[in-house]
Amino acid sequence: MRRGADLVLVAVLLAACVAALLAGGTALPAGDALAALAGHGAPESRTIVFGVRLPRLALGLAVGAALALAGAALQALLANPLADPFLLGISGGGAAAATAAFAALPAAALGLVPAAAMAGAALATGLVWWMAHGPLGPSPTRMILAGVAVNAAASAVILTILSLVPSPRLPGALAVTMGSLASASVGAVAWLSPYVVVPAFVLLLHGRDLGLLATGEESAAGLGVEVAMVRRRVFLASAALCGGAVAFAGVIGFVGLVVPHLCRLVWGHGTRRLLPRAAAAGAALMALGDLAAHRALGPVELPVGVVTAVLGVPFFVALLRRSP
Amino acid sequence: MTLLEARGLAGGYGGADVVRGVDFAVSDGDCVAVLGPNGAGKSTLLRLLAGVLPPRGGVVELRGRPLAGWRRRDVARIVGYVPQAVSFAFPLTVSEVVQQGRAPHLGPWRPPGPRDHACVAAAIARVGLAGREATAVQRLSGGERQLVLLARALASEPRLLLLDEPATALDVRHQLALAAIIAALRRDGVGAVLVLHDWNLALRVADRLVVLRDGHIRADGTPADVLRPELFRETFGVEIELVPRPDGPPLIVARSAGTAEAGRS
Repeated sequence: MRRGADLVLVAVLLAACVAALLAGGTALPAGDALAALAGHGAPESRTIVFGVRLPRLALGLAVGAALALAGAALQALLANPLADPFLLGISGGGAAAATAAFAALPAAALGLVPAAAMAGAALATGLVWWMAHGPLGPSPTRMILAGVAVNAAASAVILTILSLVPSPRLPGALAVTMGSLASASVGAVAWLSPYVVVPAFVLLLHGRDLGLLATGEESAAGLGVEVAMVRRRVFLASAALCGGAVAFAGVIGFVGLVVPHLCRLVWGHGTRRLLPRAAAAGAALMALGDLAAHRALGPVELPVGVVTAVLGVPFFVALLRRSP
Repeated sequence: MTLLEARGLAGGYGGADVVRGVDFAVSDGDCVAVLGPNGAGKSTLLRLLAGVLPPRGGVVELRGRPLAGWRRRDVARIVGYVPQAVSFAFPLTVSEVVQQGRAPHLGPWRPPGPRDHACVAAAIARVGLAGREATAVQRLSGGERQLVLLARALASEPRLLLLDEPATALDVRHQLALAAIIAALRRDGVGAVLVLHDWNLALRVADRLVVLRDGHIRADGTPADVLRPELFRETFGVEIELVPRPDGPPLIVARSAGTAEAGRS
């Protein structure tokens, strides 16, 4: 059954890609897009497909995979089903640092924005970890509350910067808080790719360790996990994934929560099996969500974060009701 | 041959050391019961021996080499550590949990093969949970969860088991089953160090008793060496009576010092 589910996942992912290329943003009849994909068609249609839709699709896939992977990894590392980069304030910390970087850096150095976002995300992760630890070890509830505090601090930082920043830089800084794929470009995808590929490799490498960590650090250490080293790497990798996602697509909530849990329903709770599937499902969800954000209100484009929140909030409520 | 040895071992959490100046060694196939009052440092000693808690003083050596010089994965292939309880944040199935015991033998990428599956099935059968493979651990009773954790340790084919209160949540039938599992493992040369509260169970499974109090070892030896009334008076503040039995170790009956009220420990 799981083999079949894998095939369905691949099919959905491919279908999402095709749909995004044929029907994504910027008006172009599907027939013309198909012709462009086949290498014919008018130069304008080719520009739209390859210069606009393809980078946007690639950005969506990368961001969706990054957030879902980070969510699945953090849930295991923290042994907390409610862990999610958005809820824990990691995306918020990244967004605050990215906003500051947009405001402070000269235009030529904007390639450093993802690095700043990663640093902010790492700082937020460290803060949440520190706050969540009481005398009896980390508590899931305290961890979520720590996320609330970090999110509040991050939005205060962002609002302060937005009120101080000179207006020409505002669009870039504002987009960070929005959660949208509108800024996609070939350059953005190229800048983002190392922030996704390297951490994704690290997380997949430690998939088995993460599965053991989901039963507690002592239990994992007893089964051969170098806990301190794995924890450090997973934190950094998750921060890089979230920072990269935030720098180019802003704060997109709930993907890291919803996607891993949907995958758990199909593939079970084993982390090693879960991680690659969550990445693929996150990529597919983001591509389809962006398509929906384009199409839902006709000519008006919604930020894709709205779509993921519409999906994610009821899901979070259900999960919260069921948790002890 | 000495498998695991601690010398001058000290360790704890926060300010104070919970275990101090402990010298302790186990050889292949030894079965040692660690006993002592609550808070004596029994669990801490086991954590230190397993290497999941770094020592603050002294050294733990596995096969003559300090634990700090071993890769954790290689330690886990030899020493199977079973904590008192594990929090299951996700509803893993019995076979998924026991499968985790194979992790020390699999690299990061290798999926489990036929031999791994056979080990997992054998471990589940050994603790008597065959047929429950697909049950979520969260649906099991406390005692069954302890058995799942034991099976997980068995699946890693260790040479020594470190079991922290493995019998606490077990009913009497499962306690006897645990004793039988330990005895069978010993025939295969697999040793065990068990933290226990039940002296009579300790006498049934172990041929060496270690008594811990205030982080120090107060007694270490055969039952004949250790079962002295004055030791029980000092360590636990109770009087004991040894009731001889024809077919096995004596039965220990304890009563509070200075009262006639008797109860079985």
